[in-house]
Amino acid sequence: MLQIKPIISTLRHNKSGPLLLLLQIILSVAIVANASFIINERVQLMSRESGLVEDEVFDFTVYNFEEGVDYTAQNSRDMDIIRGLAGVKASTTSSMTPLSGGGWSSTFTYGQSEETAKDAPQAAIYYGDEQMVETLGVEMIAGRNFYQSEIESGHPNTANLAIVSQAFATVTWGDEPAVGQTIYAGGYGEQALKVIGVVKTLQGAWVNSSHLDNAIILNVELGLTSFNRFLVRAEPGLMTELKPQIIAALHKENKNRVIDGFTMITEHRKRVYRDHELMATVLSMMVILLLLITSLGLAGMVMFNIERRTKQIGTRRALGAKKRDIVSFFLVENYIICLTGGVIGALVAVQLGRQLMSVYSLPQLELIYPIATVVGLVVLTTVAVILPARKAAKISPAIATRSV
Amino acid sequence: MLSMKSISKVFKTDLVETHALRDFNLEVKEGEFVAVTGPSGSGKTTFLNIAGLLEGFTHGDYFLDGVNISNLSDNKSAAIRNEKIGFIFQGFNLIPDLNLAENVEVPLRYRGFNAAERKRRVQHALEQVGLAARMKHLPSQLSGGQQQRVAIARALAGEPRFLLADEPTGNLDSMMARQVMELLEEINKAGTTIIMVTHDPELARRAQRNIQIVDGQVCDFTMYQGGAEKPHLVSDTESPSDGQQAQTEQVAG
Ligand SMILES: Nc1ncnc2c1ncn2[C@@H]1O[C@H](COP(=O)(O)OP(=O)(O)O)[C@@H](O)[C@H]1O
Ligand SMILES: [Mg+2]
Repeated sequence: MLQIKPIISTLRHNKSGPLLLLLQIILSVAIVANASFIINERVQLMSRESGLVEDEVFDFTVYNFEEGVDYTAQNSRDMDIIRGLAGVKASTTSSMTPLSGGGWSSTFTYGQSEETAKDAPQAAIYYGDEQMVETLGVEMIAGRNFYQSEIESGHPNTANLAIVSQAFATVTWGDEPAVGQTIYAGGYGEQALKVIGVVKTLQGAWVNSSHLDNAIILNVELGLTSFNRFLVRAEPGLMTELKPQIIAALHKENKNRVIDGFTMITEHRKRVYRDHELMATVLSMMVILLLLITSLGLAGMVMFNIERRTKQIGTRRALGAKKRDIVSFFLVENYIICLTGGVIGALVAVQLGRQLMSVYSLPQLELIYPIATVVGLVVLTTVAVILPARKAAKISPAIATRSV
Repeated sequence: MLSMKSISKVFKTDLVETHALRDFNLEVKEGEFVAVTGPSGSGKTTFLNIAGLLEGFTHGDYFLDGVNISNLSDNKSAAIRNEKIGFIFQGFNLIPDLNLAENVEVPLRYRGFNAAERKRRVQHALEQVGLAARMKHLPSQLSGGQQQRVAIARALAGEPRFLLADEPTGNLDSMMARQVMELLEEINKAGTTIIMVTHDPELARRAQRNIQIVDGQVCDFTMYQGGAEKPHLVSDTESPSDGQQAQTEQVAG
């Protein structure tokens, strides 16, 4: 970097163009760093594992209108019909659908005695039968599934066995094995639920909640209300085929009801993450746009300078500059602007991050983002400058004598 | 030192071919001060550019200091320009954003000298042209004659064997022109070979040797005594008409 001092002299004597570019770079770095941070945060949220085989599971709801129906008995008959259809791998009634944005959750009590009892963390609650684990496709890592004979039906307060997610087990009991523990729905001693199994991952319905990974499956086939939700697992893409079959079969059993809301878990996921995705997309476009504008600004400034300095470049070549000296002249000049802007921009980015953190309760900007942005900017500068600068290097030294 | 044999230079554009130099022959010896005159458009600048490796030529042979210039790489040409040749331009060609010292330093940086060596040479070169006291000034703060002296300092700082000047006094009034000419004469006395294109017959006459370029070819001539402006073409069989300082040369071709 032979030329830094005279290049700084040059910049000092032609301030306005470089200053505008500097300002643009400062703003770009500040915004791009924060935007990338937010984008990455959203992308990470969206990429969290639900624990389900999402492309095989769908849900639907049966709304009974007829008066005097025994919902529990009706559910049992419906369940048998659905499980009898070709292509259905497993199926269960369910109190809610994962990633659907709505459902049941509760806190529990646990401990050795009433005095030492503690509240377990909030957890999503799935009421279902012995096929729920298979229907969701969640992985059992300890204990066992429910036996068919252990499934209660009707009211939630008949539940007495629980399968918990590992996340719930860990925040509740730490390193102690979860299987064999007891939790109480309500106060200590009320409705004991014995933990018989642990699944590796099972998310609840609310992707923005801090306890998304805390989930519990309880051994009840619900039959409480006139509408009931079913979860079905089948080969990917089979839902479109199964939907009319299910509707027909259930109507054949009892036609006084509406069967509706067939939705794949993958669609639930899309819907529930829509805001995050929109945010990530809009911010990504903004980042791309800003980087594009910055590179155009850089390239434009270089081209303008080449135009303005044609004779100077010819003279430098006449005085012994090699082509690479001309290229490096423009590179160094713009690296100076870009690094100055980059460093100031990074500081502004941190400050902006603090503001965003307090106003929008975002996590604190990680330093790697402004740093990576500046590194990216250096790469961008190289690309934006080197192409016009190569052209400048081709200016003939004869220009020195030809143009007066 | 400089030897051109049957050099030709053709500029091709979409519409026309211009033969800027045709069968151009010239030998210049070490230490000579050659003044080049000729009508506008006759090829003087083209000759100087080729001599100074600023542009290539179409045909012929050119040796500078024993080096065959025909097939040099761009980098090698740049290195030779940097080390062996000093350029002085009609328009001075100083870099407006750099102060005098930085301007003089430009070729020294390309040479790869260290800071101390650059500083020493800049100081020395600016002293030679009498402008050392103003080294922090910008070119725009100087008169034309002073700017040209800075340009000469820049050309001298690399201690070239060879100084090429294309109408160095073309933009200067006669007083300043004379100062610049005196400076060039001093430099020549110190051993540097100089080729200077000029329109000014008075200045040309002060050179050791005059050549005229007409229509892309060398026409040597002998100056009339009394400073007549009209050149007199001579052939190699003719003898010099008198003992003027300008010496006779062969007509090209
Ligand atoms: N780059 C070029 N392209 C085309 N023609 C040129 C170019 N440079 C010079 N010429 C032509 O070559 C001839 C010689 O030009 P030049 O050497 O500049 O003459 P002088 O310096 O004696 O006035 C002129 O006819 C000029 O128009
Ligand atoms: Mg000319």
